[in-house]
Amino acid sequence: MAHSQNSMEFPVNINATQITTAYGHRALPKLKEELQSEDLQTRQKALMALCDLMHDPECIYKAMSIGCMENLKVLLKDSNSMVRIKTTEVLYITASHSVGRYAFLEHDIVLALSFLLNDLSPVCRGNLYKAYMQLVQVPRGAQEIISKGLISALVWKLQMEQEEEFQELILDTLVLCLREDATEALGSNVVLVLKQKLLSVNENIRSKAAHALLNVSISREGKKQVCKFDVIPILVHLLKDPVEHVKSNAAGALMFATVITEGKYAALEAQAISPLLELLHSPMTVARLNATKALTMLAEAPEGRKVLQGHVPTFRAMEVESYEKPQVAEALWRAARIAVSVIEFKP
Amino acid sequence: MRYGNIMYDRRVIRGNTYALQTGPLLGQPDSLELQRQREAKKRALARKQAQEQLRPQTPEPVEGRKHVDVQTELYLEEIADRIIEVDMECQTDAFLDRPPTPLFIPAKTGKDVATQILEGELFDFDLEVKPVLEVLVGKIIEQSLLEVMEEEELANLRASQREYEELRNSERAEVQRLEEQERRHREEKERRKKQQWEIVHKHNETSQKIAARAFAQRYLADLLPSVFSSLRDGGYFYDPIERDIEIGFLPWLMNEVEKTMEYSMVGRTVLDMLIREVVEKRLYMYEHKEDTHQSPEPEDEPGGPGAVTESLEASEFPEQSVSQTQGLLLDGDYLQRTTYDRRSSQERKFMEETELLEQDEETAMRNSLEEEELS
Repeated sequence: MAHSQNSMEFPVNINATQITTAYGHRALPKLKEELQSEDLQTRQKALMALCDLMHDPECIYKAMSIGCMENLKVLLKDSNSMVRIKTTEVLYITASHSVGRYAFLEHDIVLALSFLLNDLSPVCRGNLYKAYMQLVQVPRGAQEIISKGLISALVWKLQMEQEEEFQELILDTLVLCLREDATEALGSNVVLVLKQKLLSVNENIRSKAAHALLNVSISREGKKQVCKFDVIPILVHLLKDPVEHVKSNAAGALMFATVITEGKYAALEAQAISPLLELLHSPMTVARLNATKALTMLAEAPEGRKVLQGHVPTFRAMEVESYEKPQVAEALWRAARIAVSVIEFKP
Repeated sequence: MRYGNIMYDRRVIRGNTYALQTGPLLGQPDSLELQRQREAKKRALARKQAQEQLRPQTPEPVEGRKHVDVQTELYLEEIADRIIEVDMECQTDAFLDRPPTPLFIPAKTGKDVATQILEGELFDFDLEVKPVLEVLVGKIIEQSLLEVMEEEELANLRASQREYEELRNSERAEVQRLEEQERRHREEKERRKKQQWEIVHKHNETSQKIAARAFAQRYLADLLPSVFSSLRDGGYFYDPIERDIEIGFLPWLMNEVEKTMEYSMVGRTVLDMLIREVVEKRLYMYEHKEDTHQSPEPEDEPGGPGAVTESLEASEFPEQSVSQTQGLLLDGDYLQRTTYDRRSSQERKFMEETELLEQDEETAMRNSLEEEELS
């Protein structure tokens, strides 16, 4: 029942877990001070308030300019796991914005975060992986992770992590890092690890692992390793997978791996041609594109050419099909034309 | 009421109260009664005192003696001047907190009045709440729309990124394929060129080898006869008998010839010496004898042995000279064997003969030599 008098008590605190933020532009400086306080509760509450604030990019910029990042780095090494979890969450939210990513690169947070890779709390690790995944969406972020030598650690963690969600996050990170520079990853046996993941039960993991292999086999060294470790039969097996995007990624990986002669013959031995031909009728355009390109590669080998000569009409039909997006359509026409020309090549 | 000085009021107790007899303890009756009793007592006491004064008292003590009070009871009692004192203490309690002042609730004054707001009298909630709700809901929806749009935009961006990546991947694959093709062609070309080069090289080498072999054959075809001829020229093929003769016989022959010649030389020298001696002796003798007649004969004599020696030296042909020397030696021997005495004239004649003979022989030899030279 409301009283006519003003109460002497403080107003009711709706969210007891959060500290009350100051008004306006005093909010962040006060939060920064509270982050440095000795009291554990204060720190935790301040972190929770910071989490909410960091959704706003302008806040992130402000926080950066007053030097909150250094405080967060210090808090990463805190002994209390709750503090660490919240700090990683703050950093994950920061990394989803480009200002935040810039902050990551400026203040060398990647390295500080990497110490938490072996943290005991799974939530903390999950946030860490999410933060990395957000960071590598831009090429500079991926380069930063590569230059700090974290790829081998991530590959190792991919093997170790039991949680599938974490595996997916790590795979996402790796996919984008491998696009930048695959040399370090190849040195740490990423192909073997990815080969294991190709046979996983989870379809997302399979698809992402195939995507990662695609990116690995762009470089020459990657192609050689893919052939050496007999990944191609598994990829061909994945071409018959029920899930569409797994098939398209597997086709893409094959497309790159069959550029070298070893790959071509490995694929031909594994009977790759018939699943690839089926994939040409897939609803996903990217799958069709990848399959066309893969078949083009295989048609360069005489055995492949012989088999594919019977299927030239399929390619010709593809040339005249129409698609919604002009670029994709053009790409597909061109691919089909090149395939036909390669199949009908006479020395 | 009578007013008196308190100092002289009998009712006020003065001095030590312990020694006093206490009054009636239990059940204080009425104070009036008490007063009467006390007065009665006082009267009785006054009466007693009056009687006391009249009553005879103990006689005064005899001189030199004193009366002393003595206790005659069964139990002796100590009589002391000091009065029994006992220490007693008293302490007030510690300061207690002042209890809170009780709420001052003033007594109610004034009149009590009550009022009641009935439903619907102030405002209509449903009507009023609408705009507030609208604003609230609107704001919430707007915020959520913004967030959803952001997410959608991000998703679109990602989708277009992915598409671009796929196109790029396919292009890259194409580029790599062409690169690979190019590389294969280039390698093939290199290999073929290398093969061709090797073939040509081998061809050249073979032709060179053939040429060299032909040349060598031709060169060496002449080798065998030339070798043999040169060896033959060098004297490596020899007739062993000829060689034997040359090596063994001829030197011996030469040695013998030399020896023989030496012998003849020696003989001639000896002969010369002999002749000389003889001639000198003869000369001496002749001179001694001939101091009277001089003859030109001794002039020939030195010419004789000189001519003999000359002819000896001039001779070249070993056979002829051998025979000559042998002849001469024989002559010499003969001369030696013949008498020493008849030497002079016989010698002279013989010497002249031999000289002439030799001269003839010489000329004959010279002629023959010249003939040979001519031929």
